[in-house]
Amino acid sequence: MVKKDLELLVSLQDIDLMIEEVGDVEKLGFSVTGYSELRKAREELAASISKPLLFRYERLRAKLKRAIVPVKNDICLGCFLRQPTAIGVKGREDEQIFTCENCGRMLYWLD
Amino acid sequence: MQRIDLTHYFKDNLFSNNIKANSKQDAIAELLDMFVESKYIRNREIVLEMLHQRETLGSTGIGKGVAIPHGRTTAASDVLIAFGKSEKGLDFNAIDHKPVHLFFMVIAPPNDDGNVYLPILGSLVTILNDKKNRDALQKVEDFSQFISIISGD
Ligand SMILES: [Zn+2]
Repeated sequence: MVKKDLELLVSLQDIDLMIEEVGDVEKLGFSVTGYSELRKAREELAASISKPLLFRYERLRAKLKRAIVPVKNDICLGCFLRQPTAIGVKGREDEQIFTCENCGRMLYWLD
Repeated sequence: MQRIDLTHYFKDNLFSNNIKANSKQDAIAELLDMFVESKYIRNREIVLEMLHQRETLGSTGIGKGVAIPHGRTTAASDVLIAFGKSEKGLDFNAIDHKPVHLFFMVIAPPNDDGNVYLPILGSLVTILNDKKNRDALQKVEDFSQFISIISGD
């Protein structure tokens, strides 16, 4: 099954979060022998995402650190602004990508 | 690094003293399913993918019968830890190649209040480096007993 764009982006961000903290995790005593494999997995995943969407992700990430943020109880967990309920109904289907009107981050519904 | 009171991050529905899995892959899925069944995680596949990528980076089997699979995911809103115990132990590709009996799965959101995620991992490692704690956890029977071991009472 082809994964939806939003899910691919979430997975990409999850890997990027991991890459960000590799050094910290290693200091705690975890073995990180597969850094280059993880980078490779990251590039393969990135290649499966449409170029404009990937570009949008990278630009948001450069500006705001987190390009996609969870939404819980209709609250954007990037800036804590309440999202309109109507958007949430569609947002939960993971088909369309919505952005927070306040902080501009892409939204991922958790509940 | 600051020592964190970990007791808030465990839940009785994220506790199992009878992990049934026989393989690393199944153990990760079984631990994750506790989060899914307790409705802490909606999209199981996304978090499973993250956990597999984390194992690509290096086994979270840190030796002495302990594994701490962990990661941040955009599909979570709070830092939570699941505990699992396997009586017979299983091959988790641990750094010392020994079977793993004690599992702590740490799931964290992309950002967390006060950045507790890394200190939580550090505190867990500290607790589990102590043989006395590992031995006690091997015998743990219920959640309240578990919490008293973790809190050091
Ligand atoms: Zn926002």
